[in-house]
Amino acid sequence: MSAESHAATPARLKPRRSRSRLAARRRRAGMLFTIPVIALVGSLLLLPIGQTVYYSFTTWNGFEPAQWVGISAYQRLFSTPEFVSVLENNALLVLAIPVAVALPLAVAFLINAHVRGWRIFRSVFFLPTAVSWVVIAFVARNFFDNKGILQSILNGIGLGFWHPDLLSHERSALIAVMITFVWSMFGTNMIIFLAGMSTIDQEIYDAARVDGAGNLSVMFRITFPLLKRFVQLAVIISLITAFSALFSLIYVMTSGGPGYGTTTLEFFIYEQAFTQQNFGIAATAGIVLFVGVFVISMIQVRLLRSDD
Amino acid sequence: MGWSSRGGAAMWRRSQRSLVYAALLVVTVVMLYPFWFMVRTSLRSLTQYYAGSGYSLTSWHDLFAALPVLRELLNSTLITAGAIVLILAASTTAGYALGTLRYRFSSTVFLVVASAMMVPMQSMIIPEYVNLARLGFINHYYAPILVYAALGTPFATFLLTTYFRRLPEDVIEASLIDGLGYGKIFFRVMLPLAVPAIVTVVVLQFIQIWDDLLVGLLFLQTPQQRPITVGLATIPSQHFLDVPMLMAGSLVSALPAIAVYLVFQRYLIRGLTMGMSK
Repeated sequence: MSAESHAATPARLKPRRSRSRLAARRRRAGMLFTIPVIALVGSLLLLPIGQTVYYSFTTWNGFEPAQWVGISAYQRLFSTPEFVSVLENNALLVLAIPVAVALPLAVAFLINAHVRGWRIFRSVFFLPTAVSWVVIAFVARNFFDNKGILQSILNGIGLGFWHPDLLSHERSALIAVMITFVWSMFGTNMIIFLAGMSTIDQEIYDAARVDGAGNLSVMFRITFPLLKRFVQLAVIISLITAFSALFSLIYVMTSGGPGYGTTTLEFFIYEQAFTQQNFGIAATAGIVLFVGVFVISMIQVRLLRSDD
Repeated sequence: MGWSSRGGAAMWRRSQRSLVYAALLVVTVVMLYPFWFMVRTSLRSLTQYYAGSGYSLTSWHDLFAALPVLRELLNSTLITAGAIVLILAASTTAGYALGTLRYRFSSTVFLVVASAMMVPMQSMIIPEYVNLARLGFINHYYAPILVYAALGTPFATFLLTTYFRRLPEDVIEASLIDGLGYGKIFFRVMLPLAVPAIVTVVVLQFIQIWDDLLVGLLFLQTPQQRPITVGLATIPSQHFLDVPMLMAGSLVSALPAIAVYLVFQRYLIRGLTMGMSK
């Protein structure tokens, strides 16, 4: 209270002009302090994305001047046979999302029961989040390899006659990538759900118990509906990760192969630009990726708003 | 009858709890197995690995002979630290300006910077590469430092702006009355108050930058400047199938980020969940 009166008195005594001078100073300081972020993000993020938009309409090898070809650049991209299988791979990746969300959701329920040692379980399950995709990819390659861990597990349980050899076939290699993705996303999604569960008021549970609700009906009638927003968030984050953060995993684990079996859109962009010098096609694909991620993010923003 | 049903309920609860533990233990094995595999395999020579028995430090010797591991760790450290310094410089000032001071267009600036979070790296990396190559920045540390700084700043700005917004306005008023200018308020009052948010940004960015591959792969093409992830991913083909050596290298690369995670996981979790509470 004394601080309040201390703050109020001099301000009231001050003439009007000095107050507006203060406001001007504040505005100027605000703008000055914004300069670094505008310079950095503007020159190294917004400028290049603008350039990508321009180059997406050109034929360009990165060295000679780009040649404007207009909208036909997009027709060219979509009529490239590899690009169709790339889009197919991205569509197939979406199939991993329900698993990548449902498993951590189930485990978050178990941890949220706060059995003894739940903090340790939480730390352990979240640990892969700290590990580089490069490292994960090395282990995953060894796991799924024909002579790898998976095969020796199969040998160990008497299924040695079966050789899944996932990495040698297009579709099964993508499945191996998807399994690795689910493993790595586990911690992040679990943390999202635990954060969501901690926002639910304990009293709601107590009231439900008093009314005689069992464990399962509490889960389906109370926890799930209240977690809806967090499930949406986990789906969106998993989707964005699958579409735009798996480059290192694919680079080390499968190099996009066999064939184009594990070449996703982001890997295709890298390959077109930096191994085939098709900077124009890569830029066109870059814009397709950007639009995809942007649409997904907009859905998220819309969903958040509609909940209010 | 009352007695037996109460005993039955207790037994039901106990068996339920052991089911929960059983499930959690299965997940623990799935999550930790890769780490155990890395450690065990790295402690075997290639022949021991194929034989499936015996232990030695051969692969660790081989790793240090085949790759300039220490140099690469130093490179990773320099790049990560440099980028984090830039990210902090840009995002704390922006957080102060957009969260506390605010001015006519500050919400527009915030919206633009925050939506830059959505730009996937692959969608901007081609012109970025060409621009920086034209400036002659390729194979200099500051190329990846600048790129990582640009990629990390939007989320850091988002985090710090929302953090500063929650600080009471009285803090500024009181400092003004004490005769501080807006610059001094930033350094003497706001920065110390923002330490928890700053630690969160540092931890998140450390893990992200340390673990990244693509930027280093493109912008640093000489072995002397490579970060550890690039060194591993582009390991010379004669070592490509040397699984024990690769596992030793993977461990070296993973350990710093794991250490940061173990010490600061509270901040990491907070950073991740902060994006959710609008």
